[in-house]
Amino acid sequence: MSDRARLVDRFAPLVLLLALAAAWALPEQGWLTLAAPDPDARARVTTALDALPAESLVVVGFDPDLGTYAEIRPTVRALIDDLLARGARLGFVSLTPEGRALALAEMDRLARGGGGAVVDLGFVPGAEAALVMLARGDRDGILEDGLATADAAVVIGGNDLGPRTWVEQVAPRVEDLPLIAVAPTILLPQLQPYLATGQLQALLGTPRDGAAYRDGLGRPAADHAGPMTLPILLGLLAALGVLGDGLAQRVMRGVQASRTRDAA
Amino acid sequence: MTGFLGTGPADVLATWVAALVTLVVLGGLLGERRVFGWSQHLLAGLATGYLAVLAVTEVIVPRVLVPLAADGRPELLVGLALVGLAAGAPWLPRPLAVFPLSIAIGAIAAFALGGAVVGTLLPQLAGSVVGPGQSAAGTLAGALAAGVSALVVLSFLHGVPRGRVLGAAAGTGRWLLIAGMGGWLGYLLLSRLVLLVDRIGFLLGDWMGVGR
Repeated sequence: MSDRARLVDRFAPLVLLLALAAAWALPEQGWLTLAAPDPDARARVTTALDALPAESLVVVGFDPDLGTYAEIRPTVRALIDDLLARGARLGFVSLTPEGRALALAEMDRLARGGGGAVVDLGFVPGAEAALVMLARGDRDGILEDGLATADAAVVIGGNDLGPRTWVEQVAPRVEDLPLIAVAPTILLPQLQPYLATGQLQALLGTPRDGAAYRDGLGRPAADHAGPMTLPILLGLLAALGVLGDGLAQRVMRGVQASRTRDAA
Repeated sequence: MTGFLGTGPADVLATWVAALVTLVVLGGLLGERRVFGWSQHLLAGLATGYLAVLAVTEVIVPRVLVPLAADGRPELLVGLALVGLAAGAPWLPRPLAVFPLSIAIGAIAAFALGGAVVGTLLPQLAGSVVGPGQSAAGTLAGALAAGVSALVVLSFLHGVPRGRVLGAAAGTGRWLLIAGMGGWLGYLLLSRLVLLVDRIGFLLGDWMGVGR
């Protein structure tokens, strides 16, 4: 590798970051949106929320992953605000330490903004066993009789104990409890089959699904703002460039090897 | 904007620390490894401290000490004895030391395996079976899924003697597998870009105050 190529390799990440930062600082482009053309995901969530009774109790299983939470954060906040606007009481519970940290941060944010009917059910240690205890009811307060007293459960996934664990441990024990999941894209292949069988009533599992749901609310708020689309487009183009470069180099190597064989 | 932090002095300090550590981590991309290593130590230290505080404030005090003091529940004493056995494992005879670990592993395996069978395996199998009331589109989709699955499974047949037809089917399955993974990786690329742009947004918006 020549000195010039080495220099380009070393500073390419910095150039990409600066380009993304410049794209972020530009005003939002109206013609470039992340909305999904397929409204099914949004419709399923809206249907599930419309079916909730007045002053419903919704348990929020809050166990996202610190690394991927930023992907679903606007959607989670929009969903929580939507539930509060519908008059639901929310009980936040976490099964993982990471989820507990993020749940505390979100409840703190809600309290700063005037709060709402939010109850902190705390951190429940014990992984799957803890979820079984929660389903059967061993806690004082609003879940004294277990999850059967709740009207729905919203599971914010990303960690080991996410929507799949709720489907496996809670759904067989608490009949007719609608499960709504919000999860980062990495969990999509794992969760899609549950949506097909109806074990999950609704799933927002990609940035597109989240954008479609937020757009459908019609209540734009700063906390619901999704990612800027121009830097994402720029990043995708850069990724395509890297992919194309790799392919071109491979083709060139093939052609050169073929010529060498012909010459021999 | 992440919206996590307010405008108080502690929030401003937290924003500065988070921004500087973000810059250090991004600096790792340019080959700056020493400070990046320190940031990893900082993360490990903070996580350990947080876990200790969480264990004391949300587990040991409210779920062990307070119920013991109030009701003297015997099952908690059994639990405490098991914790004592686990802590003293290096100095205890092996049959005694493995006792708490066996209970923990057995319980976790029982819950996880039972849940996987009752919550995933059986409902997914039932969902895959063609029922009498299923629509033609559903049956077609099921047949298509079975066909694609069979082709993909065939692609894993390495070293098995096969003819031209079986070889072509296995090749098709391999390309279907690659196409499926490619589609998912495309989604993942978008997802990771969202995370990177969020960090840039934090630096420019939350830290530097560049308005959106």
